[in-house]
Amino acid sequence: MLNRTALALTGLLALAVLCTTCALAAEQSVEQRRLFVEGARLWPVYCAQCHNARPGSQFSPAQWEIITMHMRTQSIMPAKNMRAIKEFLQQAR
Amino acid sequence: MALMTFPASHATFADEGGGRADLHQLRQKIERLQSDQAAQRHRIDQNERLIQELESQLRQVEAQNHKLNSVAQELASGNAKLKSETTERLEQFQTEITTEASPAGFGEAMSRYLGAHQFTFAGSAAGDFIYDRATSQNTFSLIFEPLALYRLNDWMMFEGTIQASLPVGSKADFELPVATAQVFLNDYLEINAGIFDQPFGDWYEDQSPLWVNRFITAPLLYGAEAVVPPTDIGVQARGSMQWGAIGQDVDYTAWVANGPSFDSALPTPVVGQTLNPQNNIALNSNGRAFGGRFRLYPLPLDAGLGRLELGASTYDGKWLNSHWFNAWGVDFAYLNNDLQARGEFVQSYRQMPASGPDNRQGWYLQAGYFLQHLPSLRLGEELDNTIHRLELLTRYSGVNQRAIVGNEISTIPAIGFSGSPAIFSPHAREVAVGVDYWIEPSIVWQTEFDFELPRAGGTILAFNGANTLTATGAGATANDRALLTQFAIGF
Repeated sequence: MLNRTALALTGLLALAVLCTTCALAAEQSVEQRRLFVEGARLWPVYCAQCHNARPGSQFSPAQWEIITMHMRTQSIMPAKNMRAIKEFLQQAR
Repeated sequence: MALMTFPASHATFADEGGGRADLHQLRQKIERLQSDQAAQRHRIDQNERLIQELESQLRQVEAQNHKLNSVAQELASGNAKLKSETTERLEQFQTEITTEASPAGFGEAMSRYLGAHQFTFAGSAAGDFIYDRATSQNTFSLIFEPLALYRLNDWMMFEGTIQASLPVGSKADFELPVATAQVFLNDYLEINAGIFDQPFGDWYEDQSPLWVNRFITAPLLYGAEAVVPPTDIGVQARGSMQWGAIGQDVDYTAWVANGPSFDSALPTPVVGQTLNPQNNIALNSNGRAFGGRFRLYPLPLDAGLGRLELGASTYDGKWLNSHWFNAWGVDFAYLNNDLQARGEFVQSYRQMPASGPDNRQGWYLQAGYFLQHLPSLRLGEELDNTIHRLELLTRYSGVNQRAIVGNEISTIPAIGFSGSPAIFSPHAREVAVGVDYWIEPSIVWQTEFDFELPRAGGTILAFNGANTLTATGAGATANDRALLTQFAIGF
């Protein structure tokens, strides 16, 4: 009887973990899509304020990771906006 | 059988008085029969043994056959299994080959492969042709500015710019205008330490890279006779936040650094003395310089009115013990579709040991317009495409200072400097017009015409010999013209 209860609890726990993981993954995907859309709006304005906005295809996603970090310092734009522009540049390839 | 019939036959022969010969024959016959019988038994025995051997061999053969059958079955089974597995793997490989990897999955795989520490190169390079009318000098020139970026993690990175140029002669000059460590403490605060572009106005930090500057030269106040130093060595705190709707931001920078120093080649400090580009080791003063910059972006993105920046900057430091160098400036930048405009005004004050203050002013106003959305001129697709890649530019800049030092005037052209002596006038004025042909967003062929229009006024100081200073009034100075054309790449 005790074993059955333990087994049932373990099963429920595993199901809960699976559901949470799936929900987090879905949420992350939704968040990424939101950042992408916002980045597409910000990119032509924030980048072009100083120089021509460069397309995402010019660098690899790993390079954009570094370059957007550098540009956050250069432009001092809000961090959340730079995150959106980075997501856009990394995905818009 | 022969033995049983033998007595009857013997009696018959005896009765008949048969001869010994017959008996002998019979005996011989019997012996032969016995011999045959023995031989037959022997053969039978042999045959039995042979049969037994054959039976034994047959059993062995059967056993081996059974064993071989068993092995053959195992082999057939293994072969079928192997075939099945191979087919399955092949199908799997074919599926993997035909199925395109998702960008996210590929990105994650690449990130794992590259590791947390990442390194890349950016920067710019340019080749120029420079002509100045007053000096009749014309030359080709080249500069290369690689920017090394090293990211340790998502909150720390290092960057360094090497500036390699080719001055007069046959050797190269290498400078280190930027080398900073950046620590992102949170979304609103970042610490920078090292040698950095001066966070004063927009020019040094944001507009000076070769492919970013719409013109080839700098505005006069940031050129050969700079009003504030272009770089400094120290520590900065900077950050930004959105205060209203999206697009409505503010940013700040506060810094402490080595501060200003002036041309130490002169025998004594004088008004109009050139600022050093940087102060590597601050031995000229015991006090460090400090300053700040604040920028406001008032227009929301959704208003469709473009992006406007309004900024103010300060610079305060002692260039000599007990003697201050103070500067302040205001700037604006405006971008709306194909139009971009910017301008700055800067004022500096320098306390002098033995004369009146060394005050300077500088300003510039520039505008550019991209022709990319110009309606077709119906001159053919190729010509239309060429026209749509053009950007038309104009800039007015000026500097006022009470004096200049004749010994510091240089007419040697360099990247970003035409070599015109008119630039060193105490009241220098310049009108620049330009055309940029954009091959790519970061590759441009630029052409600039400079009209140097200095005004009368101010003093020209000169050291003749060690300490003999002569002062001459700067009257009307001849105008000058310069042409520069440059191919610049941002990479």
